Amino acid sequence: MKNNLKVLRAERDWSQADLADKLNVSRQTINAIETEKYDPSLPLAFSIAKLFGKKIEEIFTPDKK
Amino acid sequence: MKEITMNQNEVMKRYYKEFGISMSVYVVAVITSTTILSNFEFPKIAQIIITLIPVIPTIFVVIAIMRALRDSDELQQRIQLQAVTFSAITTGLITFSYGFLENIGFPPFPTIWVLPMMFMLWGLSLAYFWKKYQ
Repeated sequence: MKNNLKVLRAERDWSQADLADKLNVSRQTINAIETEKYDPSLPLAFSIAKLFGKKIEEIFTPDKK
Repeated sequence: MKEITMNQNEVMKRYYKEFGISMSVYVVAVITSTTILSNFEFPKIAQIIITLIPVIPTIFVVIAIMRALRDSDELQQRIQLQAVTFSAITTGLITFSYGFLENIGFPPFPTIWVLPMMFMLWGLSLAYFWKKYQ
């Protein structure tokens, strides 16, 4: 799954650690999501969307098959 | 999946504290237990109790690990699941296979080595799976 988390984070001038703290996850989890090595669960995706004031589909998009 | 509500740094800080205290008490209990047993004579039942005293702090080690796992975020839980599954199955297969070798005269496998083997494999596989998500 693709995402623009890195861009959204950069727009707010947050580090990965800052975002991790806001979401109560580890910095490694943020890094794994940004590098698309890990797709977050639905609750975490909702938390991310809520934090950025966006809809989930504005942040996460499925891979093209 | 439940939402994680605890800061991950706090989870790890609490884990290190609980694990550290429990292991320190364990080391003291092992030293005390072995010193007492090698210096005094006790009836069998007392020997069993004194020998098993170090088990008590290990219960708190288990609690510390389970609390940390419960409050870890979803990726950490996934990594731990993969690492623990690998170490449990591999340890099982190694000891089980050695059991066949015992049937043809190999010396009995000391059961005291099962836990260190499992922990070593857990640590190694944890590093591997951790790196996979880096």
